[in-house]
Amino acid sequence: MNAYTIEKSSFKILLNRFLENYTVYGPTKPGEDSTFDEIKSISQLHLDYVSTVLPPKKFLHPPRESLLKFNNENGKFTSEEIFNDTKIILLGVHPCDVNAILKLDKFFSGDYKDPYYNTRRKNTVIVALNCIEPSEYCFCSSMDTGPYLKEGYDLLLTDIGTKYLLEIGSNTGKKLIAGLKLKDATENDYNEKEKRFKLMKNKFKKYINTSWLSKIVRENTDHEVWLDLGERGGVAGSFPCLSCGSCTFVCPTCYCYDVYDKMDINLKSGKRYRELDSCQLLEYASVALDGNFRRDRKDRIRHWMMCKFGAAAGKINSSCVGCGRCIRVCPSKIDITKVAKVVRGG
Amino acid sequence: MTNSFLPNQGIIKNVKTESSNTNTFTFAFSDTNLQKEFSCVPGQFIMLSLFGAGESAISLSDTSKKDSIITTIRNVGSVTNSILSLKKGDYIGIRGPYGNGWPIEKMKGKDILIVSGGMGIAPLRGVINHVRKNRKDFGYLEILYGARTPEDMIFTDEFDKWRKTRKSRLELTVDSMPVASQFECQLGLVTSCFPRMKTKTKNSIVLICGPEIMMRYAAKCLETIGFKDNQIYLSLERRMKCGIGMCGHCQLGSKFVCKDGPIFCYNDIKPFIYPL
Repeated sequence: MNAYTIEKSSFKILLNRFLENYTVYGPTKPGEDSTFDEIKSISQLHLDYVSTVLPPKKFLHPPRESLLKFNNENGKFTSEEIFNDTKIILLGVHPCDVNAILKLDKFFSGDYKDPYYNTRRKNTVIVALNCIEPSEYCFCSSMDTGPYLKEGYDLLLTDIGTKYLLEIGSNTGKKLIAGLKLKDATENDYNEKEKRFKLMKNKFKKYINTSWLSKIVRENTDHEVWLDLGERGGVAGSFPCLSCGSCTFVCPTCYCYDVYDKMDINLKSGKRYRELDSCQLLEYASVALDGNFRRDRKDRIRHWMMCKFGAAAGKINSSCVGCGRCIRVCPSKIDITKVAKVVRGG
Repeated sequence: MTNSFLPNQGIIKNVKTESSNTNTFTFAFSDTNLQKEFSCVPGQFIMLSLFGAGESAISLSDTSKKDSIITTIRNVGSVTNSILSLKKGDYIGIRGPYGNGWPIEKMKGKDILIVSGGMGIAPLRGVINHVRKNRKDFGYLEILYGARTPEDMIFTDEFDKWRKTRKSRLELTVDSMPVASQFECQLGLVTSCFPRMKTKTKNSIVLICGPEIMMRYAAKCLETIGFKDNQIYLSLERRMKCGIGMCGHCQLGSKFVCKDGPIFCYNDIKPFIYPL
């Protein structure tokens, strides 16, 4: 498909087009850290970001959402689904996060389809942004999920100096920019992209060897590393896991949720909610009569690591994309890349 | 896109008291067409909703009746507590059935050993009655059932029928007997029945359901006796919020207990249930 370029100083034209028919969520910088939030004007947009605390997963699989409304009347009940069909654009999403969304797409469209996720996804346009600078925690290059994006975008931006290269990835993307006065991309622009990609690739400080990793982890459920990580002194310079769950909440592929009902004050009507849950919390695997299938921290952190290495039930659809957020937020300084290395035996 | 999270309305047709805190409920969908389409096999479960209290995964304790959905529920938490307060004619939300069911096809022509503890007998009752009804398809039927006390035992009115089944044996154990039992049972754990067991290791299949600690010991004992891992099937309990492999809670290694189970061959899940 065609590609164009747009001067950074003219980016407003593109944003205004997006805002015509969509709610736009993009990176903004309210303080020290960048975050994805609603963008209403160009001054809020901060495309020159490294990573955000929370991934854009929050717009597709929100931290809390209502599934249905119910009404109990004379013992009978009625229930009604609640859907959100706002049309949104996720703007400036980095390749790791786009790949995470592609994984969630597959996860939520398996044997059973999740109507809530899929309704939102259907109404979502992805305008991705290739990375120019990895953070000290990033390792997407070893997960094959970055730093440049191969698929899954409607439009793709690449910073090539004073302008962006704008590539079209879908008909939706094509229609979205139709009629805008944009310059056609030249071979020089593509060469510039390639040059930057090569420079970028060598800047990564973290690395994971993923070959056979899920099999290795699955066959090493009794490895010393889990006890070190969960109960003893930690692994490769980390402290033992605190089971705080931070890693799961910032992970772009963690999908687990809890479901609960909340009654209105009239005690007749109410809503059924779902809320992101964390396998690191003690209650996650608890059952009636004080049963718990992952009572020890070592079992919980092992489960999460297995999940991120593609060895849990979510398989490849909940595995790591190398965004490095968990390493950044972990209060115990647990580094998933180092854990992988220890499990693998160096 | 059908919404698998949306429960259908069911009505309680009958409630039968099994023990002081356990009832057998007979439900039917309010929508008769839905009821006609409903088909299930022993070992599967449904998600029961009581709006306001929440939703719980409950196993089917009888799968032989086309016009009803039968479950046996013990009061062990907030949702089951609310369900136990329901009467005939009350409404409840139902979705399902989910899960895989006992390996009936593989059991054909073989001796069947059933090891159950506490409420674990509920998902096995369907299979016991299936074997009794199709007696010539299966070999010897041996049922070992353990509970805390005789009062905690359920389906007690069916024991006589089970005992009278041709080529079968029923043995009951209890941890303690505060008052004299109305039926013959031994003191001890369910595993203490194994020395008297008639089922041979050859050409047999073992079905186990009960508290996980009991299943671990039972599986280990059976292994020691000489049963192969691939002869042993277990029905697992896990926290379940969706029943359709999406909420993550029931994960066991690389499986979802709700979708890939709840019945597993011991062979496949051994490393994840902490073998002794």
